[in-house]
Amino acid sequence: MSHLFEHEGADGKGYSQPDPVAPVDNLQIPSSLVRAKLPRWPRLSEPEMVRHYTWLSTRNFGIDTGFYPLGSCTMKHNPRINEVIAQLPGIADIHPLQPDHQIQGTLAIFHEMQDMLGICAGMDAVTLQPVAGAQGEFTAIRCIQEYFRGRGELGRTKVIVPDSAHGTNPASAAMAGFEIIEIPSREDGRIDLDALRAVVGDDTAAMMITNPSTLGVFEPEIAQAADIVHEAGGQMYYDGANFNAILGRTSPGLMGFDAVHYNLHKTFSQPHGGGGPGSGPIGVKSHLAKFLPGPVVKRRPILAGDQLTSVNKEWWYHWHQPENSIGKVQQWHGNSGAVVRCWAYYRRYGRELKTMSEHAVLNANYLRHKIIEEAEKIGVRHLFADGAPVDVVKHEFTISMAPMKEECGIGAMDIAKGLLDMGYMAPTVYFPLIVPECMMVEPTETESKETLDEFAKKFVEVLQEDPEVLHNAPVTTKVRRVDEVYAARNLTLSYPFDE
Amino acid sequence: MCFATKPTFMLVPRYDSPGDYHMVDQLPNLGREKEMLDAMGMSSIDDLFADIPEAVRMTEELPLPPPQSEEEIISDARRLLGANVALGDRVNFLGAGLNRNYVPASVFQLVTRGEFLTSYTPYQPEVSQGMLQAMWEFQTLISELVGLEVANLSVYDGSTAAAEALTCAVRVHNRKAEQKDTVYVSELVPPSRRSVIHNYTQGGGIEVKTLRHNSDGTLDLNSLSQAAGSCGIYVEQPNPLGILDGGLTRVKEIIGENTAFVVGVAPVSLGVIEAPGNYNADIVVGEGQALGSPITYGGPLYGIFACTKTYLRQMPGRIVGRSIDVDGKEAFCLTLSTREQHIRRHRATSNICTNETLIALMGAMHMSLLGPEGLAKLAQRNMAACQLAKQKLSEISTIAIPHRNNSHFNEFVVELPGSAAECIAYLDTQGLIGGFDLSAWYPERKNWLLVSFSDQTKATEIELLAAHLAVWSTSLVQGVRA
Repeated sequence: MSHLFEHEGADGKGYSQPDPVAPVDNLQIPSSLVRAKLPRWPRLSEPEMVRHYTWLSTRNFGIDTGFYPLGSCTMKHNPRINEVIAQLPGIADIHPLQPDHQIQGTLAIFHEMQDMLGICAGMDAVTLQPVAGAQGEFTAIRCIQEYFRGRGELGRTKVIVPDSAHGTNPASAAMAGFEIIEIPSREDGRIDLDALRAVVGDDTAAMMITNPSTLGVFEPEIAQAADIVHEAGGQMYYDGANFNAILGRTSPGLMGFDAVHYNLHKTFSQPHGGGGPGSGPIGVKSHLAKFLPGPVVKRRPILAGDQLTSVNKEWWYHWHQPENSIGKVQQWHGNSGAVVRCWAYYRRYGRELKTMSEHAVLNANYLRHKIIEEAEKIGVRHLFADGAPVDVVKHEFTISMAPMKEECGIGAMDIAKGLLDMGYMAPTVYFPLIVPECMMVEPTETESKETLDEFAKKFVEVLQEDPEVLHNAPVTTKVRRVDEVYAARNLTLSYPFDE
Repeated sequence: MCFATKPTFMLVPRYDSPGDYHMVDQLPNLGREKEMLDAMGMSSIDDLFADIPEAVRMTEELPLPPPQSEEEIISDARRLLGANVALGDRVNFLGAGLNRNYVPASVFQLVTRGEFLTSYTPYQPEVSQGMLQAMWEFQTLISELVGLEVANLSVYDGSTAAAEALTCAVRVHNRKAEQKDTVYVSELVPPSRRSVIHNYTQGGGIEVKTLRHNSDGTLDLNSLSQAAGSCGIYVEQPNPLGILDGGLTRVKEIIGENTAFVVGVAPVSLGVIEAPGNYNADIVVGEGQALGSPITYGGPLYGIFACTKTYLRQMPGRIVGRSIDVDGKEAFCLTLSTREQHIRRHRATSNICTNETLIALMGAMHMSLLGPEGLAKLAQRNMAACQLAKQKLSEISTIAIPHRNNSHFNEFVVELPGSAAECIAYLDTQGLIGGFDLSAWYPERKNWLLVSFSDQTKATEIELLAAHLAVWSTSLVQGVRA
């Protein structure tokens, strides 16, 4: 049975529950609020429910299933110990309104995470509250907004983003009320300093940029860009989506940034879970610290009368409200479960986080090299073009299928679908927008050399495939090419009970 | 230092202690760097970072502890997290919108399947049918639960769901609204949720005005007419004091067609309480946590977002639609993406990208196991515990229950003869997590304690709470008299 809602078992199927603690024949419910008709939910026994979701899982592709080179998403292996730790009652079964003395262990972990993230990015203060990268962007932009309001610089109403930026950058700044100024990238995909100079001014609030860029290329002139923005009185915001490339080798602080968000679900292995939960802490330089959403964790030496536990023999950990806090972006303390998972992840590497980034970059460059090499072996290199004219890339690289599109009508999406038939997840397609027919490939550090070698071969095999076959791909998947236009024109957003 | 046993690491001279090898089980190519660099005609890892200008290079090692093995990490985690007081260690009456419902074991078992856990947003529908269908089913479960046509596959939590609902209401209604860029929010909404609403609405220049409540905690319907002609109102059912407000069924007729009626719900309550869609709510939001998820210190949770078709094209977040593949076979894919940031950029309906899919999946699994009658029973258990507690506590002469004549779900207010903070501290010494000190939300209410009860509350625990409250309040009252 493929549909959940076709399970119409007997009344009360499902898991058995104890009886209520008191009779329910006289529940006080206002007469206007008595539910007239229960939801049309299915009725499944546990074996049926387990089989349904297991069946669904077999129709889904994860990192555990196979190579997942989805650019910009950092689909690295998710260590399982992190899941075990996140289910310990000391995190899964605690409440955000418990007093500090009952949660010293969690606060100690949070404090360590704030410190670690600050160190890695060269920032002075960190909040763990934002629950996703986009929310981190929004939070940091709000802090910058309040910073300028505090200084009476109310005319700073514009945020600059390169045309290669992630869509969340302009969306987050617009949500905070800023006008977006998009600047074109240079022909080679790098930031155009002249274009930047032309738009900065006393109306500039901030520039939002990621480095390495969405082309996977390090912006060598990033410090100059920061100088240009700072000289105009603006702030520099670092989109941490690509942080996996540079950890321990450089930092947003060294590059001149004032604020940064971290994608714990990218760099620090919080599982993506099919679209979330993530976690998007932000770090800021000291001048922005007092605006952070509150509270943040602080510690002080133990005083007489503190309730000591095995955790806090030296320090007392406590929540602290920043002086001019922008308030809350999530009602509690953010995605704490994700923070604890990522604490376990960071502990695995410790000061060797740099090695993680080195291997991410090693793998990306190696794969890029192998694809070019495999293509040259059989003389098909003209079918694709490098997304960026550089000797080395960072954690990801882009390929343009524009030559192939022109020659035989095969676009990036066709190649993507062909790769699905080979048993791979497809790279990101059609992003960044500035590379025509773009495929964005990010292998991550957790793939073996053999996997990369094999993928390079298969990728070139797909390039040589009969165009008709590729237009038809995929054919080996659970369903074949899905008609997205049909879905939008015939909106069926829930089970049609009457059908 | 003993390289003889680990010769491959000699390629990476930085590793100078066996303790540094712990990530060997995470990095498949550790020790194979030279082989891979050779293939590229490079001589060292540094060549890969030659494009980073010297001026911005990090020259020092990261001042962090050395790597740890899995065994050491779990040991540290157990020591640190074991020092916390878990709710299950104590008799617990703390809720305030998060409830410690029982989640069946099969939910935790299934959700860790790697095909779900380690997948990304289903951009390639042909290999993501499992999650897409599960989320389409989730949308259906939520639609049915709240009585509205459309639901998305989650936003971050209940607070951002409320905030997004209000900005959505402005996008839909502002053109015709008499009170432009104006929404109204119940005065009982806690400062933490209100703050999220402020952060989400201030950028659009939206003014958030306040809706008054009567002294019995119900919404003041007489003053509600002032909100007619605004873009939307936000109220909660049950409200933050745990009160089920029958008056909300009259709200829509008062505020009118062109003002969005946004209701924040406790989803479990809808097993006994009418779906807001059936009393003309336009948008229903809520904290989904009680269905499917532990509290986890307040996150990850999942925000419910459902609405009528009027709001469909202005709603935030991802939506799954049913479609067909090229063979005409049923298939699912993300749809209406042109609302979203990756396409619409700064004109998107929201900046949300990553959401709470996996927690929503846990919700769907829990809902599937409950079924309609299971949901009703779960709601009855929650309500019965609350009602029994109200009855027991109302027998204590030294405390009062200010809204006792109202109907409650999950929680109610106890008015104490002294400060709630002191009462909680006393209960803590007796092994009880005694509830929530409402002065944190409403500063003038120093003596209001919010006590919560769920399906996990036992009758004996209610007796225990009553006994301790009686002792504490009696000693306080007698102390004052003396």
